[in-house]
Amino acid sequence: METKMKNMVLVCVTGAFLLGFFLWSLLKPPEEISLSERRPLAAFPQLTGESVLSGEFMTSFESYTLDQFPLRDTFRGIKAVTARYLLGQKDNNGVYMEDGYLSKLDYPLNTDSVDYALGRFRYVYDRYLGDKDMDIYISVIPDKNYFMAEANGYPSMDYEALFTRIEEGADFAEYIDITPFLELSDYYRTDTHWQQENILDVARQLAGAMDVTLTSDYTKMKTDSPFYGVYYGQAALPVSGEDLYYLNNDILEQCRVYDYETDAYLPVYDLEKAEGQDPYELFLSGPKSIQVIENPQGSRSRELILFRDSFGSSIAPLLAEGYAKITLVDIRYISPAMLEQFITFENQDVLFLYSVSVLNDSVTIK
Amino acid sequence: MLFSSIPFLYYFLPCVILVYFAVPKCLKNSVLLLFSLFFYGWGEPRYLIFMLASITQGYVFGVLVERYRDRKWSRAFLAASVLFSLLLLGYCKYADFFISNFNAVTGLSLPLLKIALPIGISFYTFQILSYVVDVYRKEVPAQKNFINLGAYIAMFPQLIAGPIVRYADIAGQLESRTHSVADAAYGIRRFLLGLSKKILLANTLGELVSIFKASQEPSVLFAWMYAIAYVLQVYFDFSGYSDMAIGLGRIFGFRFMENFNYPYISASITEFWRRWHISLGTWFRDYLYIPLGGSRVSRPRWLLNLFIVWMATGLWHGAAWNFVLWGLLFAVLLMIEKLWLLSGLQKVKGLGHLYVLFFVVVSFVIFDGPSLGEAGNHLAAMFGGLKLPAVTTETLYYLGSYGVIILLAVVGATPLPARLFRMAEKKKGGGLLLSAAEPLVLLGLLILCTAFLIDGSFNPFLYFRF
Repeated sequence: METKMKNMVLVCVTGAFLLGFFLWSLLKPPEEISLSERRPLAAFPQLTGESVLSGEFMTSFESYTLDQFPLRDTFRGIKAVTARYLLGQKDNNGVYMEDGYLSKLDYPLNTDSVDYALGRFRYVYDRYLGDKDMDIYISVIPDKNYFMAEANGYPSMDYEALFTRIEEGADFAEYIDITPFLELSDYYRTDTHWQQENILDVARQLAGAMDVTLTSDYTKMKTDSPFYGVYYGQAALPVSGEDLYYLNNDILEQCRVYDYETDAYLPVYDLEKAEGQDPYELFLSGPKSIQVIENPQGSRSRELILFRDSFGSSIAPLLAEGYAKITLVDIRYISPAMLEQFITFENQDVLFLYSVSVLNDSVTIK
Repeated sequence: MLFSSIPFLYYFLPCVILVYFAVPKCLKNSVLLLFSLFFYGWGEPRYLIFMLASITQGYVFGVLVERYRDRKWSRAFLAASVLFSLLLLGYCKYADFFISNFNAVTGLSLPLLKIALPIGISFYTFQILSYVVDVYRKEVPAQKNFINLGAYIAMFPQLIAGPIVRYADIAGQLESRTHSVADAAYGIRRFLLGLSKKILLANTLGELVSIFKASQEPSVLFAWMYAIAYVLQVYFDFSGYSDMAIGLGRIFGFRFMENFNYPYISASITEFWRRWHISLGTWFRDYLYIPLGGSRVSRPRWLLNLFIVWMATGLWHGAAWNFVLWGLLFAVLLMIEKLWLLSGLQKVKGLGHLYVLFFVVVSFVIFDGPSLGEAGNHLAAMFGGLKLPAVTTETLYYLGSYGVIILLAVVGATPLPARLFRMAEKKKGGGLLLSAAEPLVLLGLLILCTAFLIDGSFNPFLYFRF
């Protein structure tokens, strides 16, 4: 190719690309949310004299251009694929993939964070439980890294130290070990959570330790849309969606879920949420501060108070069979100091059930 | 505004190019000045006042120095301009450094001024200094057109991170310059290569540097990985920026001096400084070292001159003791080389390369330390002083994760890729193939850079605050 022609092609191609995306950016209507990243996208910032002089407008405009850039998801995918397959990087934005499973690097063990969480659990015990005749239990849900990090050469936290720290730190509760009942395939490939249809044995282990027997059978139901978990958006790798199942039976059909936030009854499985931004909200309608699962067929004498994070949403329905009432409390969304306004602590079973990822980054616990 | 940002690449750049090439020749410098002021004001609008004041004083004193040439007033106007520039730079950049050191020595607690350093002030101040001094030395005529001088000083391609363009080098181009497809293509090529160096290599290496600093499981190997990654990051960050500046300049018809010439292949520190930040090195040579007497003085005075120049070089990079120590380390090495070592190093080049790389790595660890204490800690970690384990799982993970990038960066810091490109070009059919592939490869790099920008977060240039 003649040098002149080569130069002309280069100038035209580059110019067209820059100008094309400039015009596209200008003309493209802004989007409100990113479905893949599960977050609102930046809107065009307010243009005022003050915002310009302070530099706030410019900073916000930069965020706006990044968030609203045409083909944003495609560009993120290009970056992720290049970083992984061309540059040999093992993670993208801290999310790595092994055997089709996505997980986020989470290490080392943050003992301060674990101790803070233990401190909040002890606060609950001292304030509400200590002087009552209540059976108290605690259990830790391992994250996917427990099964896939160290084995594949990724940095990993000292899980045994974490479990021991929780067991010894929560000396007011009986520790229930559920790790033998879990394996990597019990978790979603693209999400942080476990799959409800794979944790019946975990539910039975927890219930058994609390002297409750679970015997029900369930029907495995599938939602309409494929499930893309939280790591899918963060990794930006071309990974296919997966099936999202939930377990149902007559008992659960008759259960009602009372939501203190909205003062309304909700279904155990919210199928509308399964089609929404975070399909995992199918289970008990997602993050809520206090909810009560009322089981009209449950044993009248048994009630459970479950202090939990989002993993609790999918296992609580499986425990419902053994209890007339399960009160789910998420102290990330309500201060434990306020609980007495909503809950009467008397003779219920109490289970603290928290995942490793929340314990190792417990700043959100109130 | 950053070159490596979406607002620059996809908003500012198309606009400035469209307007610049649409207006007649007589308005091109005005367009450049206006867009440059917008570019500068975008980041820090309040500091436009410093820049406009600097341009104005440079313009006024330049004209006055020339008008009163060969009279004592000429020297007075030169002194006034130099004083203005240095006071402004001193106030913005060094006031708090001197106050905190004064407080430390005297035990007083004078309040700090807490001035945010205006971007690029070190670069444009040095350009104004060189302009007025060159007018005084009769090396260039004073610029009578305020817009032309403003366009020179504020020109956005080189405004915030150099190279430090001498007025003498582009005075003619300011008055009259040509534009061509060949220049535009060359400019695009240099710009995209520079952008790729910055975004794909420097920023990625910067991630590793940050990971090391946040690591709770450091090791000796990790400390060395950090040091090597940082040395490569600084090079690709700064030389990438210079490439972008040179490329953009060429699109607008300007030819800026080269600023880097594979510094890490040097076989002596003397050679290193002929290849690293060339525009700064030659600036200090011409406007400080030679006026002090250079090497044509007694040996003690010559050593003092070297000491002053390298202390100033260190301080130019930042108002902190680690920068001073960094400069003085080079002063000592250069003194040793010039007195004893240089001839020996030229005979044993392999050893020379190792010696340069060793001291460059050590020097940049000092350079990077936010304080002398932290730099000392990093050096101690590298040399076993902190009793760290030799290696940890985390270290091996990041070695695996960043190994390819480090390898690419090491090879990219040598002339090998350019040599291979030239060899392939000479092969039969190679030239044609490379010509056909070039636009695609460069477009691919632009797409990759855009993708990395969109996926990543804001990454300021390392040389931004100097």
